[in-house]
Amino acid sequence: MPQYGMVIDLKRCYGCYACVMACKVKNHTPPEVFWARLLKGERGKFPNTMRQALPVLCMHCEEPSCLEVCPTGATQKLDNGIVIVDKDKCMGCKACIMACPYGARYSVEKWVSYFPEGLPLSDYEKFAKNYWEEKSGCGVATKCDFCLDLIEKDKLPACVEACPANARTFGDLDDLDSEASTLIRKCRGEVLNPELGNKPKVYYLAPR
Amino acid sequence: MDPKVNGQLQKDWGGLIALYLFLGGVGGGAYTIAAINSFLGKSMELSTTVGLWIGFPALLIGSLILVADLGNPSKFILAGLKPGTSWIARGFWIISLFMVFSFLHLVIHEFTDVNQTAGIMTVLAVLGIIFAILTIAYTGLLLGASKGIPFWRSGIVPVLFVISGLVTGHFLTMIGMVVFYEGASTVTQFRTMALEASIVVVVELLAILFFLHAAYKQPDSRESVERIMRKTIFIVGYFILGLGLPFLLMLIIRYTMTASGPGAILAVAFIGALFGLIGGFLLRLAILVCGALPTLNMGGFQFRRIAKPKDLKPQIGLMPPQ
Amino acid sequence: MVDATTTKEDVWIPTCCGQCYCMCGVKVRRQDGIVTQIEGNPDAPTGRGSICVKGLASPHLLYDPYRVNYPLKRTNPEKGLGVDPKWERISWDEALDTITEKLKECQERDPRGVFFQATTTQASEIRFGVIGFMKAFGTPNYWVSGGGLHCGNGAHFMNGIMHVAWSIIPDFAHCNYALNFGCSKGHGAGHVAVMNATQVADARFRGFKNVVFDPFMSAQASKGHEWVPIRVGTDGALALGLVNSLINEHGIYDAEYLMYKTNAPYLIRPSDGRYMRDKETNLPQVWDLVDNKPKIHNDPSVTRVEYEDEAHEVALTGTYNVDGVDCQPSFELLKEHVKKYTPEYVEKITWVPAATISRIAKEFGEAAEIGSTVTIQTENGPKKIPRRPVATHFFRGAQGHTNSGWTCLSIDMVNHIVGAADTYGSALGLGGTVQDGYKKTGKPYQIPYPCPDGLLKAKAWVYDHIPYPLREPKPPTRLDLHDMFPTSIYNAFTICSPKWFDILERFKIPYRPDVMINFGSNSVMTMGNAEAVTENFLKKFRFIFSFQLYCTEFEEAVADIVLPDACYLERFTPAVSFPSTFSHPQGEDDWGWTIRQPVVKPLFERRDFNEVMLDISKRCGILGKYYKGLNDVVPIRYGGDLEEKNKLVEDGSVEHSWEDICDRLVRDRFGDEHNLEYFKKRGLFTWPKRKEDVYWKWFNPSRVPVYFEYFIDSGEKMSKLWDEYQGNDFFKFDWSRFKALADWYPCPTHTEEDPEYDMHTFYWRAVAHCNSLTQQNPYLDECAQEDPHVYAVQMHQDTAAAKGINDGDYVWLENPQGHKVKGWVSLCEGIEPKHLAIAAVAGHWGKYMPIAKGKGVFFNDLVEMDLEHTDPLTFNQDICCRVKIYKAD
Repeated sequence: MPQYGMVIDLKRCYGCYACVMACKVKNHTPPEVFWARLLKGERGKFPNTMRQALPVLCMHCEEPSCLEVCPTGATQKLDNGIVIVDKDKCMGCKACIMACPYGARYSVEKWVSYFPEGLPLSDYEKFAKNYWEEKSGCGVATKCDFCLDLIEKDKLPACVEACPANARTFGDLDDLDSEASTLIRKCRGEVLNPELGNKPKVYYLAPR
Repeated sequence: MDPKVNGQLQKDWGGLIALYLFLGGVGGGAYTIAAINSFLGKSMELSTTVGLWIGFPALLIGSLILVADLGNPSKFILAGLKPGTSWIARGFWIISLFMVFSFLHLVIHEFTDVNQTAGIMTVLAVLGIIFAILTIAYTGLLLGASKGIPFWRSGIVPVLFVISGLVTGHFLTMIGMVVFYEGASTVTQFRTMALEASIVVVVELLAILFFLHAAYKQPDSRESVERIMRKTIFIVGYFILGLGLPFLLMLIIRYTMTASGPGAILAVAFIGALFGLIGGFLLRLAILVCGALPTLNMGGFQFRRIAKPKDLKPQIGLMPPQ
Repeated sequence: MVDATTTKEDVWIPTCCGQCYCMCGVKVRRQDGIVTQIEGNPDAPTGRGSICVKGLASPHLLYDPYRVNYPLKRTNPEKGLGVDPKWERISWDEALDTITEKLKECQERDPRGVFFQATTTQASEIRFGVIGFMKAFGTPNYWVSGGGLHCGNGAHFMNGIMHVAWSIIPDFAHCNYALNFGCSKGHGAGHVAVMNATQVADARFRGFKNVVFDPFMSAQASKGHEWVPIRVGTDGALALGLVNSLINEHGIYDAEYLMYKTNAPYLIRPSDGRYMRDKETNLPQVWDLVDNKPKIHNDPSVTRVEYEDEAHEVALTGTYNVDGVDCQPSFELLKEHVKKYTPEYVEKITWVPAATISRIAKEFGEAAEIGSTVTIQTENGPKKIPRRPVATHFFRGAQGHTNSGWTCLSIDMVNHIVGAADTYGSALGLGGTVQDGYKKTGKPYQIPYPCPDGLLKAKAWVYDHIPYPLREPKPPTRLDLHDMFPTSIYNAFTICSPKWFDILERFKIPYRPDVMINFGSNSVMTMGNAEAVTENFLKKFRFIFSFQLYCTEFEEAVADIVLPDACYLERFTPAVSFPSTFSHPQGEDDWGWTIRQPVVKPLFERRDFNEVMLDISKRCGILGKYYKGLNDVVPIRYGGDLEEKNKLVEDGSVEHSWEDICDRLVRDRFGDEHNLEYFKKRGLFTWPKRKEDVYWKWFNPSRVPVYFEYFIDSGEKMSKLWDEYQGNDFFKFDWSRFKALADWYPCPTHTEEDPEYDMHTFYWRAVAHCNSLTQQNPYLDECAQEDPHVYAVQMHQDTAAAKGINDGDYVWLENPQGHKVKGWVSLCEGIEPKHLAIAAVAGHWGKYMPIAKGKGVFFNDLVEMDLEHTDPLTFNQDICCRVKIYKAD
């Protein structure tokens, strides 16, 4: 079984939000839900200042802290390493949201339109609502699943496909010859906040 | 006023969860006091009765609130099917067992002859106290299991919540005693309980200071401490009015109102206890709303979710004529 | 109700994105008749499977409930900012009847009273409905509002002269060291944004160094190898400092390139600065160092078209006596001229340390590796060409000032000094304007060629008029007196002047503004101070009708009729990536001709702009002329004449549908087998690019100027004409800008003396937004809110602390003219402390655009529209200003 993971080259990434939006329109996530998100950081005093963007998503940790706190078995780690939520088992306690130090989980009580309340839904939003309620669900924890449906069709996750800078490499981390493994090894990939001990499967290559 | 909404703060657990944490504490605390007092015999009868009447219902309401806060309340029973796998699953059984014990204790205490059922009541009280403490501690352990919120990860939170549970348990019991006032003996009990409460308040004060100090030393939870120290509900609502004022009033009841009539004592006790209760709730609320995600570090940068100004929500505006 | 799991139809339709002017090929997913998702089209050279955040967010553009879906009529006769138009829905018939009536009235008065205003977002649609109608109706009055005035009058014009291109950009695939002057190319915005981003990311990966000059830490600065904070509007001075440092301090220049590919060796007569011309041929002369005598510039002995050709060396420096006149090569003059731009002098202007200027010039010069070559495979076998892996590039930030024209030329001059232009690794013209076309048809053919003086002339261009040679100044006929001005495409200082009608009177314009046709522009917000634009300009029209997606601030203020336009997902456009001035990635990837096609039929009663313009033309009885207009625009814009059989019938005896017109154009360019049906299936047609078209410099016999001799002539003619009309009564022109050698000129920002106005402010381009359209898209709005700075005023922490301003505080920014805008501040370290940075065309107030409303800061309100804030050379608007900042309640 492959162990899926991702490498994000921060030197390539220039913070364009294409990953965020590709995820939005693929998964039709409602407002304020960002399975793929982009954080921006600044350091140093003027003029020795630096800025950098950090794309984040579910880290699909080897030791997911969300899994530990899930009381119902809704959060599962698949054999291929992908962490998913079975919406039919989730009771919506949100403990997993609090347990994820990477802030990768989101829950919406009810589906909300992107437009002000009180308007009739557009055709696209009707579709998006339906898609969300069926695939992800309201009141339950939701998160990035590495676009499992696309992977099963031998395609790449939407954010990987969309990245104009080719900053994202998706692949089998158990396969030492995969592009992802090679990048991690050769370019010294690091995980976010390793001290947390979650052993994320999303690696980053240094911005400089 | 903070002009911005900080994206680092968790926003999924709010008032309802705070209320549950509070009720879990107050219920467990009141029951514990009642059960201990029951060993002291007649002199503390009213406080025992009131405490037992608080314990079970508080947890019942608290659990209902907890269920109501679920995104999918109908599935709450799933939490009980995998005991031991997670703190919520453990909590499910802790609360359930506590509710069973406290309910039985209450029923037996109220509706049987105390002399005949003393043995079983002792057993129930011991079990009840254990599970009451576990119930309160669990409210802290629930937060403590949240790896995403370093502020809550502290081992002191369950201890703090147990202490606060005992304090608020005292206070709610005292309010109950004001309502069911039974004359002079009640006043005596007040004076005992006022002393107990004062002592526990001092312990709580030490616990909270220790908690904040420890959290401040950790970089990941420092932001939460800074935020909570700027929160009015925490400083004024909890610290001054919810902890300081009741402490003062309890000391007054105990040491300066020796010659006062019952009415004055009742009134002071009532006011002190009420503020203490509100303080207990605000403590939990403040701890919840100040829960912040850890800052993510990479390449020497610190990455955080952005703070947005509060007034960006679109109004409905006008539609072009259709 | 659509069921997400049991959809029956699930198709991907190839078309071309239309959220900005980048023209990326996309595939749009349609599920049971509903557009649900958009992706890049891997077949399209623009994008190659990636598109940006804006394109991805398109479903909301199509389905936004605030879209205008039916024709609307203004029932409130009052016009102005914030006036309620009291819209009433009307039928298409009523709308078109009214419009036809107004147009016919105008036709009787004077057809030139029609003013066409368009948006750059739909740059390809403009080439048909706008241009065709203007030609048919007989009006010369046109502009694309903010486009051009803010971004292009300077840059596009000067890049047209120097590179026959819309912009310049490093050959990222091979460039090692680039200097970026305030432009986001390769970092999410600007032309060909996505492919550039891919190329820059690859370049970074292999160690490409980008030094970014910008007052704040832009996306490009954050990814750059070095960020050099610079005072806004002083890029030209810095560039001249680099030129001086290269030539006079470090002695670095590419003599070969200057001798054979520029007019640097042209001998200049000292008396009037003109070329020394051969008496017989009247051609400019150079000094042959081998034969030691003057030669005409294209004498075979002194000409090297290809790098491997051999020629005599010609003089770049020194003084030579020709026919008794002591004259010097123009390079000698340039060399002397730039000496005043010492690092120390430039530091005072730009705030960039002198040592940094000197160092960067040295690094740049060394990285150019002058003398190095590379062999590329051409159609005629392997050829050796120079390899110059350095480039300077620039755009809006550097050129949006009153020194625009000379700033652009100065920045590009750095390239030409080291021979880093349109060759391997160097600065390339962006947009690919050089090509010999698809082999089978030879179209689009656009190989530039030299004028008699040897200078580069474009073969294809976006406008009727190519950038060089300049037009002859003529007595004005246009409402903006454009005919008099040889160096611009349009201007704002005339039409936005409170004395506009007096000016028209003085300049003997016999007609007045009458009907404005607006296609997609929100000019109330995109040009400058809203009040000035509305009161002085827009309200002067008798009747305004507007093709629009939303009721923007423009429609609210002044439109009489709003027509519901189709968005890019609902329309056909036969040529999107062409005219090719800005929609092709540089580099060796294929050419691609992209079309737009409807993914869904126009919803509600929306209709495509181009179809409606055909309809209006028919009603006005000018359909035949309209067809002729379209036939006429094809050769220069799409590179090559139309075959007879593909021409539209000009006598009006045949009515061509819009699809038929589309079909004819693509068939004409690529043969009958590549008809519209073919394009509907693939979305585009691609053919290979020749290497000699990518690196065309050493395959083309033309030269580019480093000495702008013809500006002198042009300025003299223009000032003469100006004086004839006593134009100085209205505008005091600075004719000294019309000269041959580059200089830096201060903006009002740099000469402001009131210490109260102590902050420099400017705007920047946020990746989630383009022009003003995207502001109403809730996906993009949310994205913009995810960035700490997009909707804020970026301010340095120390400056804010000194002024008692805190993070998140609301503030006013007020310019010396008393115009002010409100916003909240976002404190940071990544900005030069005397600057404030504002993003996008934000700060909307329109009641019909609630998502856009109240987000961000309306920077343009601070932009003054007078001549003082206009570059006298190119009429580019000044987009920086001084402000005072103070807390708002």
